[in-house]
Amino acid sequence: MSNLALTKQLPVKPKKARAEMAQIIGFLILLLVTVAMIMPLWFMLSTSLKTTKEMLAYPPSFIPDHFAWGNFKELFINTDIKFGRQYMNSLIVGVATVIGTVFSSSFVAFGFARYRAKGSTFFFMLVLSTLMLPYPAIMIPQFLLFTKLGLHDSLLPLILPSFFASAYMIFLLKQFFTTLPNELYDAGRIDGCREIRLYWSLTLPLSGPVLATVAIFSFIWSWNDLLAPVLYLDSQENFTLPIGMAAMLSSKFRIAPWNLMMAASLLSVLPIVVLFAIAQRRFVQGIVLTGIK
Amino acid sequence: MSKKTGKFMLSLTLVFGLVATACSSGGGSGSKDGETVTITHYTIDSPDRTFVEKLIPDFEAKHPGIKIKVTKAPYEQFDSKLQSSIAAKNAPDVTSHWGYGGFMEYYNKGMLMDMTPYLDGFKASDYNIPDDVMNIYKVDGKTYGIPLNSYVTVMLYNKDLFDAAGLQYPPTDYEDKSWTFDKMVDYAKKMTVDSKDLAKAQYGVDFGFGERDQRPQYFGADVYSADTWTNGGKPSEINLTKPEVVEAYKKIYGLIWDQKVSPTPAFSKSVSGQFGDPFLSGKIGMSVVGSWSLAASSNFNFKVGVAAVPQGPNEKVRSVLYVDPLFILKDSKHPKEALEWIKYLITTEVQEKSIELSGGNPPVNQKAAEKYYSNFEGIDPAQIKQVFEGAYKYGFESYNHLISNYSQINELFINELATVENGDKKVEEVLPSIEDKLKKLLERVNK
Repeated sequence: MSNLALTKQLPVKPKKARAEMAQIIGFLILLLVTVAMIMPLWFMLSTSLKTTKEMLAYPPSFIPDHFAWGNFKELFINTDIKFGRQYMNSLIVGVATVIGTVFSSSFVAFGFARYRAKGSTFFFMLVLSTLMLPYPAIMIPQFLLFTKLGLHDSLLPLILPSFFASAYMIFLLKQFFTTLPNELYDAGRIDGCREIRLYWSLTLPLSGPVLATVAIFSFIWSWNDLLAPVLYLDSQENFTLPIGMAAMLSSKFRIAPWNLMMAASLLSVLPIVVLFAIAQRRFVQGIVLTGIK
Repeated sequence: MSKKTGKFMLSLTLVFGLVATACSSGGGSGSKDGETVTITHYTIDSPDRTFVEKLIPDFEAKHPGIKIKVTKAPYEQFDSKLQSSIAAKNAPDVTSHWGYGGFMEYYNKGMLMDMTPYLDGFKASDYNIPDDVMNIYKVDGKTYGIPLNSYVTVMLYNKDLFDAAGLQYPPTDYEDKSWTFDKMVDYAKKMTVDSKDLAKAQYGVDFGFGERDQRPQYFGADVYSADTWTNGGKPSEINLTKPEVVEAYKKIYGLIWDQKVSPTPAFSKSVSGQFGDPFLSGKIGMSVVGSWSLAASSNFNFKVGVAAVPQGPNEKVRSVLYVDPLFILKDSKHPKEALEWIKYLITTEVQEKSIELSGGNPPVNQKAAEKYYSNFEGIDPAQIKQVFEGAYKYGFESYNHLISNYSQINELFINELATVENGDKKVEEVLPSIEDKLKKLLERVNK
């Protein structure tokens, strides 16, 4: 019996060994990919700590000879750069855009998801069709509008549009809201909820994942937006980070300060990394539930 | 969601609204404040341009009725912001062609104001601006721009590589006719190490004479018909398939692929990034380049010298001039005041001050230029002066300032010649197709 058991177990051994080998190879491949992914980040960090002379040296060094921590300080004290101010402006625009987008888009999406009326499908298609309009097509009319309103060279033209909902976010939120069971709403109505309470006290609290997704998307878009700030903002005090960083490479007559640029890049990815780290679980859940990628 | 949370979110929204409003500069251009007139000066957001802000207090003290507001954009977005400002009737008063577009593009789009009526009593000589430089921005006797800075093409060389190869430094005198293109190639051969190992490879010369369509001019050939320079920058004929132009391009790209003394685009990008100058890596012996590269010379990791561009087949042209003017835009409501600001910027005193404030912009005012020549550490001022004077004498204004719709033309040349630069195609194969495409482009844009 015991012999039989041994003979039966024999073929298992190479299988296990093969599986282990496959695991090791898989691990090595993953390790290589990870290194490849980390390399640009490492280079960004390394360049941000180099002096101008070392930055220009060829072949480039992976670890700086002298850590020039002063580059980070330079960003904040150099009055030509005004990095701190631009960082604050980007944060203001980003946070306000998130608030605007989340509330306005969810409100509209709630309407489309929960109510049927004559022409509601048509209007939903109409909203979706605005997705096909590229920003440059509406750029000049919108610019004229905000200039006429006296809002040129202020942060408001970057924030206000987000309070009028975004077609993409409406679509994303509607997808989620339609999955909420009707029975919940019926129960709410029986308990005396008005329609606005159904939105505020029932729909929003149940939509954490999709709201996190909308928040992250809208923050990233606002954080990275360059074209609209370039159009609306004239004074350096009002510039957002993308303009400030593009301006660092503006001079064709000077050596581009890549070390400062990399220090600025490192600091500029921080809010997105932090936001993603906080909302990661809900964000992934949101993408899965809405079927949006 | 509880009532408390709702109220909190609402308050947060309002607070952000308030903060954002507080961060605005008040909106609107506010061009008039009683008797005071505000002039908007639009420039690239780069220290060598925005330094003008430091001159404003002095100007405003001397001109109590005029205020100056500086607006800026990054280089890449300079043109698009300017175009949308003009479309929205919010155009600045004073600017220059600091983006991709050039003077003729602005002129043909009707963006520029004819300054002639306001120039009564204005003499270029009062500001030490040479007449031929002043004439660059005149069309049919009307002045559309007043020169501010003048860059030229120079040859920078790496003294360390010259010393290592035991070569004599090239001359600074444009009249020294022994310094020829062929001699430059000989020198370059002695400094070149054509290796696939990037750490070992180094090249003798990087020949960046003007933009790609202007380079044949150095060899005595011209891509565009002669009427281009008199009819508002609209070439009636393209000469890309003429034998002398083909030969010129063969010589230019032969430096990379036949003589192998110039870096390939792949090498340049490897050592200096997408838009960087490979000369900075210390692996190029000589670089024919715009004089703006001089401004960074103190940061080079090697000893640098400046020399005359060698004598080529064209005896008249050896340098491309890049004269940056200041324009008053057509929609300006205060051209007189705008002109006061421009005149202030070209006075000897302000031009001298601007050299230091800008970090080394070459003044158009020749008296102030004396100070500019002594601005570069480790380079003899007399040598720089000699190189600049020779470059002015044998200079031709950059095509990008003189040809209409230049940004599109330049893009076409960059894209189409990339295959030659990368060694995938021969010059003869590519030029006929560029000529066809260019003709079609010109037909479309110059309608």
